Amino acid sequence: MLRKYAILLAAVMALAWSSTHASPEDDRMAFEKYFTTKFPEVPLNDFQNGIYSVDPVARADWEQIEEFPPYELAVDAGEAEYNKPFANGKSYSDCFGDGAVRAQYPYWDSERREVITMELAINECRTDNGEKPLKWNKGKIAELSAYMSYISRGQAVDVKIPEDDPEALAAYERGKQFYYTKRGQLNFSCFDCHGTGAGKGVRLEKLSPALGHTTHWPVYRSKWGAVGTLHRRFGGCNRQVRAKNFKSQGQEYRELEYFLTYMSNGLELNGPGARR
Amino acid sequence: MKKYAISGLLVLSLVAGGASLAGDEFEAAWQAADDKRKEAAGMQSEWRDTKKMLDKAKQAAEKGDIDTAMSLVAMAHEQAADGIVQAEREAVMWITRVPR
Ligand code: HEC
Repeated sequence: MLRKYAILLAAVMALAWSSTHASPEDDRMAFEKYFTTKFPEVPLNDFQNGIYSVDPVARADWEQIEEFPPYELAVDAGEAEYNKPFANGKSYSDCFGDGAVRAQYPYWDSERREVITMELAINECRTDNGEKPLKWNKGKIAELSAYMSYISRGQAVDVKIPEDDPEALAAYERGKQFYYTKRGQLNFSCFDCHGTGAGKGVRLEKLSPALGHTTHWPVYRSKWGAVGTLHRRFGGCNRQVRAKNFKSQGQEYRELEYFLTYMSNGLELNGPGARR
Repeated sequence: MKKYAISGLLVLSLVAGGASLAGDEFEAAWQAADDKRKEAAGMQSEWRDTKKMLDKAKQAAEKGDIDTAMSLVAMAHEQAADGIVQAEREAVMWITRVPR
């Protein structure tokens, strides 16, 4: 009995050692290999299509839906909002130029010592210009994000973890630990569903692989009847395993986004997306 | 007659005293469960329904249904404690799931 535990403990410690010595790039390559090995028939750049990369039946529906994309209205609304001047005469373009900036987010801000997401930057652009911040999960912020993602299509995901800044690496590592940690009454980690469980079903729904999970946000979900942000989805996934969700744009979800987006480095941005 | 009135008073005060004793016990149990919940939250391991149970327990107690209130508090306390054990285990085990 004791010996069994000793062996297990030694194994965990060896894993811990080798993993703390894995660089983010080692992590990313192993992550990618995990999914390309599991789904050898799926071309790498198809993973950004989520569940539709591994579920041919759902894919047929989706391809039809994409002929009249349900997020189109949101993109238009976002464009109008983007070009509307603030009360002080400035506008979003004073913060984001032409707005095709999705690939620059999320990033580590070495001065502020935190991860900055695009939605956070949108609200800071507003408050810096004397406007009220928007609600995080849906509505105007998701529409602005939809427009900015739309005009950023085709750019490659390129999250950077500055090597000269150990705090950036620590933020990445916290996001990584979050991803693999079991939570909630049902005791699931993100990876239990979107890694080990990818391609399998829960109830009527199949589970999408985690590779490419961040490339297409915000998403129009039929269930939401509107576009919603990535952090809204994070919250929903936490709650469905009966864990308390964390605050949208709080430290936990921003660092989770930092890790998860890094895992998709090199894939093409294709937001906004349409999902069930 | 007087005798009855006195014993009646006695019974009344006993019931009232009993109720407030149960009330104190409830308050203490509720606080202990809520502290545990916060401890779990501090470890990023609070469960979804724990706070709801504690809110419902308060409502039941206000209606005087101490039995329901106490059993909800016990459930919430157990959830919070389980969340803490889960976080302690996961602090070691998470790394075993990372693809390499
Ligand atoms: C109990 C299983 C389960 C767990 C655990 C889970 N999810 Fe999900 N997740 C789902 C289901 C079901 C969907 C919708 C179908 C799909 O795309 O997989 C989904 C969808 C998503 C999507 C959208 C995918 C897309 O292509 O648009 C993201 C992103 C996501 N989850 C992230 C997470 C993160 C991060 C965690 C951990 C905090 C997590 N999930 C935990 C079941 C789960």
